[in-house]
Amino acid sequence: MSKYAIEVENLNIYYGNNHVIKGINLKIPQKTVFAIMGPSGCGKSTMLRSFNRLLDLNKNARVTGSVRLFGRDIYAGDIDSVEVRREVGMVFQYPNPFPHLSIYDNIALGLKMNKLVKSAEELEGRIEWALKKAGLWEEVKHRLNDYPSGLSGGQRQRLVIARVIAMKPKVIMMDEPTANIDPVGSKKVEDLIFELKKDYTIVLVTHNPAQAARVSDYVAFIYLGELVETGETGKIFTAPGSKLTEKYLTGKLV
Amino acid sequence: MKERFEKDLNKLKSEVERMAELALSMLVDSVESLKTLDVKMAENVISRKDSLADMDESIEEEALRMVAIYQPMAKDLRTIAAVLKMITYLYRIGRYGKDIAGMVKSLEGKGHIAKLVEIPYMANSVADMVRDAITAFKTENISLLNDFEERDDKLDSIRYSIFRECITYMMEDPRNITQCSYYIMIAKYLERCGDNACKMAEKIHFMVTGERIEIK
Repeated sequence: MSKYAIEVENLNIYYGNNHVIKGINLKIPQKTVFAIMGPSGCGKSTMLRSFNRLLDLNKNARVTGSVRLFGRDIYAGDIDSVEVRREVGMVFQYPNPFPHLSIYDNIALGLKMNKLVKSAEELEGRIEWALKKAGLWEEVKHRLNDYPSGLSGGQRQRLVIARVIAMKPKVIMMDEPTANIDPVGSKKVEDLIFELKKDYTIVLVTHNPAQAARVSDYVAFIYLGELVETGETGKIFTAPGSKLTEKYLTGKLV
Repeated sequence: MKERFEKDLNKLKSEVERMAELALSMLVDSVESLKTLDVKMAENVISRKDSLADMDESIEEEALRMVAIYQPMAKDLRTIAAVLKMITYLYRIGRYGKDIAGMVKSLEGKGHIAKLVEIPYMANSVADMVRDAITAFKTENISLLNDFEERDDKLDSIRYSIFRECITYMMEDPRNITQCSYYIMIAKYLERCGDNACKMAEKIHFMVTGERIEIK
């Protein structure tokens, strides 16, 4: 098996005639936090969505090149996109638990629909496990039947992460997971990301370089749809190889 | 935010330049006072040590404040890191000046055993290296640092020749021992100042290019 969770080769993405991702090559090692950073509109979220075939839902989008998930090309003809999405969980910018379902049911839904648990006990066990993994158990164990509207932004985001973890994915993708959360909640989510990398590969999209610096092991810098530079976080943030990265990190990129 | 940072950074860098001027003045003036055994001048050099220590501390504090407030990255971060290291090297250089000035007081009644030529020459070479380093720091023209290794080697060999010469004097007449042991120490201090200038050059090179070099 490949030592990389995701290998991207000559990836091109078009929206109609608009070429948004231009020939990107990238390797994401397993069980690390890999941050994709770049200014707004550089294509980083689009690229992330191509890693679990979310772009299939957009009729206008076209993807060429290959994305290999643990060595398997997810764009090969015989691959079921639903199965891909089960292996690659996704956390979005805005915490989006199902508002009409209780905390418990938010996590139970996917498990039941995908028949991932065989008994009620197993379901209960898995929900507790996921909430504990997401660092939320202590805060919600007495109110599992409450609706998520009573949770803070940070708690809601951790609930979403618990929902993703419950499915036991191999990769967790996060698109600006703390953009709409206050600093305390953000810190908890960042701590959680750090914990989760023991078991999962995490791909984090952020336009906040400081966050990428805090939580990631590797960083890729994307600018105008092109990969400018990728490397170890410590190196990129102290002495990047590219003038463009240098400019971005010192706020001189207009 | 960026403008504020740039403004603060420029101010920080000019503070380092000011500290370099002070440290250099201490070194250069101490050797000047040594030439003529001018105790008044030497005392004046010694009196500058407090301002040197104050600048060391205030620049460090300002640099730390900037790290805390702006969380700089890439070149901004390397610049602040260079500043933090440079002030230590400059402090050392100034302190060697103070130590040389201290010896002038001890040498006062004794006089020199010969006209001092090599020690002032060494002091000038070191001062030029520090000036070039500071110019490179200011203008980012790192080509000024290219020959630092050679210049440092030259300082080493002058120090050695001073040592050899002093040994001869001391063997010739033991009454020369006091002066000669000071000369040997001073040569050693100046050579150390050259090392400090080289370390500064390394940090400045890293600051500008992001690549580390090792001088000698």
